Amino acid sequence: MSRRFLVLSAFICVHLRFPLLPAQDAPAIIEETQRRSRAPSRRNDGVLQVIDARGRITEKRWQVHQLGSYGNSKTILRFTAPPEVKGVALLVVNHPDRSSDQWMWTPAIARERRIAIQDRATRFFGTDFTFEDLEERDVGQFDWKLLGEGAVDGAPCWRLEGRPKEKKVSQYTSTLLWIRKDNYVGVRYENYKKDQLVRRLNLSDIERIQGIWTPRRWEMSDLARNSRTILRTENLQYNVPLKDADFTVQALRREP
Amino acid sequence: MRLALSVLLAAPLLAQDFSHRGFLETRVTLYPQTTRGDSGRAVGDALLRYEPSYKASTALQFAASFEARTDTHQQVERRWDPSWQDRSRRRPAFAVRRLSATYHRGRFTAEAGKQFIRWGKADIVTPTDRFAPRDFLAVVDNDFLAITAARVAYETRSDSLELVWAPRFTPSRIPLLHQRWAPLPQDLPADLELRDAGARFPGGSQFGARWNHIASGFEWALSFYEGFNHLPLFDARLLSFAPPRVEVERFYPRLRMYGADAAWPLRWLTLKGEAAYFTSRTLQADEYLLYVVQLERQAGEWFFVGGYAGEAVTASRTTLGFSPERGFAKAFVGRAGYTIDPNRSLALEAAIRQNGEGSWTRIEYSQAFGQHWRVTAAFALIRGSPADFLGQFRRNSHAAIALRHSF
Repeated sequence: MSRRFLVLSAFICVHLRFPLLPAQDAPAIIEETQRRSRAPSRRNDGVLQVIDARGRITEKRWQVHQLGSYGNSKTILRFTAPPEVKGVALLVVNHPDRSSDQWMWTPAIARERRIAIQDRATRFFGTDFTFEDLEERDVGQFDWKLLGEGAVDGAPCWRLEGRPKEKKVSQYTSTLLWIRKDNYVGVRYENYKKDQLVRRLNLSDIERIQGIWTPRRWEMSDLARNSRTILRTENLQYNVPLKDADFTVQALRREP
Repeated sequence: MRLALSVLLAAPLLAQDFSHRGFLETRVTLYPQTTRGDSGRAVGDALLRYEPSYKASTALQFAASFEARTDTHQQVERRWDPSWQDRSRRRPAFAVRRLSATYHRGRFTAEAGKQFIRWGKADIVTPTDRFAPRDFLAVVDNDFLAITAARVAYETRSDSLELVWAPRFTPSRIPLLHQRWAPLPQDLPADLELRDAGARFPGGSQFGARWNHIASGFEWALSFYEGFNHLPLFDARLLSFAPPRVEVERFYPRLRMYGADAAWPLRWLTLKGEAAYFTSRTLQADEYLLYVVQLERQAGEWFFVGGYAGEAVTASRTTLGFSPERGFAKAFVGRAGYTIDPNRSLALEAAIRQNGEGSWTRIEYSQAFGQHWRVTAAFALIRGSPADFLGQFRRNSHAAIALRHSF
């Protein structure tokens, strides 16, 4: 058996197991991650459990509709339970070159309110997600660096660091991100303010839905408060018929 | 109305597109001091609100809100016939609070029926909010009333144009004449008998237009309103000298408004401003500019709003009137809120007149229990001189506790 044949066999074996990958620099990994999760639209229900430092659990439910992906997407998130927050809604309009625009609709006072950029470090409705955590992170808004490799729940991952570019206003100084090598799903985000880790997001229960590897369980921990929020997505569907006109400030007023 | 009502009542049969919410609330308000004509120190209220909505298609949906209430202080009618117009002096025992149909296609939205229309961006004083009459029975603790109107909106990515036509006038509900919140001069003779002669409601329609522009990082709006002031002026007629008897009748002056509002998020704070200039063809009505400049910020679990509400009168004609929105002008206004945890919050609101003649401060603690229950305790302190709009209510400082079950 010639040396050339051995090398060829090894090459074929490796790439049958792991498909051909683009160059393994950080932006390429992020771009591939985004490419694989791209969908024209999606909708899902979500069950949020907020668990405070004393272990007390508060449950909320919401419904999410999203049009577009990364950079140009629009999302409406509307609470469906508990009854006292039912109808409260958030519109997030993401932009490829700057921070998102956000408006919140409160049915009790029949008014929408613009969420200013400097207010987005605030917790969203008592959960451990801040308003900023609910916007998409487009690859172009961060400088990415490949730090190395690691494992999350036994799965081999790339470990990357993202720092917001000048035009991107963020409460976080940097984010460490773990992306699984086998399916390009981001499974852990660690958000830092200066050198201090303040929030950790773990994504798990990954399922392939309509060809897209999708985490079904999101767990955001606020390390300063010692509280965490578990978000479980239900009834997730990609490629649902949605219209641009359903993602406007006027649309916020129209409760489903 | 009947068609919309029957669609809504039939809607539970088509449950997938039917949703509803509501609450039952009981509240007790305690006043340490009595006032002229009102010796009551405790007021109890019970309110049931039910809000169904039905989506008939992707383009058409119906929304409603029904209320049933009672109280211990004769602020609620004792008759149970349903109220649509919201023109009674007392709160109706049973009311159709909202009943509207919304049609939406592309960038176009139309809503017709009884609905809430809110304009403006400021929080405590909103000069451009002309289609939002309120229930001012307890002046500092008020709620919005819906109006019967048709609203059409056309929206592009950065602009929206809203046109409103209200064929029938809905007034704000003002304090009852013989109760503690009635804004009566302090130097009235003790034996004076005041009689409520009702109201002269205007017959014409109202129209308004608002153009809102969303730019990168800030937004602004221009608005116009032609109609009537939902806050009344009074005609007082002397019926007899001895004993002194006076009859007071409400009327609602014509009003034209030119308004503007803007929100501009800066690096550390959001700057919001709202201004409206009011003119009137009614001879007894003032012409004036009302404006608000406020700064707001959320930081951690805190929420702050602080600003100044000002007024400049260009033609002074009014002798007797009731206007809380002008009563809160020439004042520093503020609000702060703190979220203790997902179930508990604290809030503080205040308005202090720039001449120091009147102030209102309210502190509120609210706590949720489980998915359905919430208790809210509040204390309001009112101080000032009898001649000041806020100060005249200085004997109305109160504590209140409310228990709400949401469903």
